[in-house]
Amino acid sequence: MIGLGKAFCVSATCAVLVGAASFLAVDRGLFAADHLDPPGRTDAAVDPNPDVAADIADVYAWHTANNVVIAMTFAGPQPASRAPTYDRDILYTINISNNAVPFDPEFQIRFRFGFNGQAVGVQFTGVPGSTGPIEGPVETNLVQGPVVVRAGLFDDPFFFDLQGFKETRSTGKLSFKNDRNFFAGQNDTAVVVQMPRSALENGTNPIRIWATTARFGGNI
Amino acid sequence: MRRSLRLTAGVASLSLALLLTACGGGDSKTSTPVTPPAQSAPLVIPAPSGANFNVLPCLSQLVAPGKTVANLVVPDTVTIDLNAPSGFPNGRRLTDSVIDITLAALFLDLTREPVTRFVNLPLGPQANEVPFRPDFPYLAPANGNATLPPFAASGFNFRTDAPAAYTRVDRMGMPAVATVVIGPNEKLNYNDGDPINDDKLQYYPEINRTLKAFADALSDDFAAANLKMCATPN
Repeated sequence: MIGLGKAFCVSATCAVLVGAASFLAVDRGLFAADHLDPPGRTDAAVDPNPDVAADIADVYAWHTANNVVIAMTFAGPQPASRAPTYDRDILYTINISNNAVPFDPEFQIRFRFGFNGQAVGVQFTGVPGSTGPIEGPVETNLVQGPVVVRAGLFDDPFFFDLQGFKETRSTGKLSFKNDRNFFAGQNDTAVVVQMPRSALENGTNPIRIWATTARFGGNI
Repeated sequence: MRRSLRLTAGVASLSLALLLTACGGGDSKTSTPVTPPAQSAPLVIPAPSGANFNVLPCLSQLVAPGKTVANLVVPDTVTIDLNAPSGFPNGRRLTDSVIDITLAALFLDLTREPVTRFVNLPLGPQANEVPFRPDFPYLAPANGNATLPPFAASGFNFRTDAPAAYTRVDRMGMPAVATVVIGPNEKLNYNDGDPINDDKLQYYPEINRTLKAFADALSDDFAAANLKMCATPN
């Protein structure tokens, strides 16, 4: 059984998910942006009980004239038919440093999922520009002042020739194809956080962002 | 140089010293203990006979004014200068071709090749298969018709446990750093670490080992394609 027992999945599809995950484990290999890494905890090809919910896929961060946007994807890539993965026991953290010490976060955006029956909610704390926790249903824009957050199921935004990389690594020959995107048509569960850049700016210091996941009660 | 470091191999010491110079400042006052990583078996990639390259020039080359390739990898964070235009490696937009840019920075001599060389070929796919949304939440809608949970406005049973009650599973900053330059036997240690451990160059031997395996293996292909490598023959 893969690690979906505490995650959201519609009961009729849970058995299908197990089979789908097993198939993907054979097909995906070890390289992506961060999908299935570390394999010893998140890749069914290596770990018979992978922590799918805690598997970070990607971290995106960009700025506009007024805002900084961070998108964090996880639990993917997964087939388009699979329900999103919401696990109450995972603590997701987006760390942000905005001073001269690049590894000491001044801000820690934390989010977790909770349930009301089969309904799923998300709670954010520590979002720069917010005045307190932000919580509400998934698949919904949650607004607090200048801050907007959302959790839900999205297209996997990463594009890469995974097969080409695997062939390159196994043969030592460059084998990429620019018309082959392994991640096309697949989904991730994800959150997007939009906050005012004024809440993050600290003179001319760059801001540094990294994400972590952690499981309540220890690794599965 | 901000601190002394001890390595057993002389070559590694020299490389590390040069990399430290490239990495810039740091601060050990917030150090957190992390178990030193075990020595890992080198990544084995079939390479042409006699290929033996030094990848240190790759890590110390400039990828942007004042920023070396090593600066992109250590510490492993997405970095944004809010006063400069947005776009990888200044942040990471959804549309950025991060892998082709990263591969160019890691393997090509950026004094003789543009960092966009692989993007311009192009080496890999250059865009998502569906368009991103212009406005929040920016990510494209999910594919297919997956069953979504029913709606409730409130009443969710969020955990209230302190972060100390949770055990690290995964971490990520820059794309492809943990997955490409950290070998399989170092994965757990790396993901249990933090940027402060990156800053202490705890994973540098593994980064050097993995990049060398790729550089040795691909040296003949780069030469055949007339691509100028940053790695130099030993």
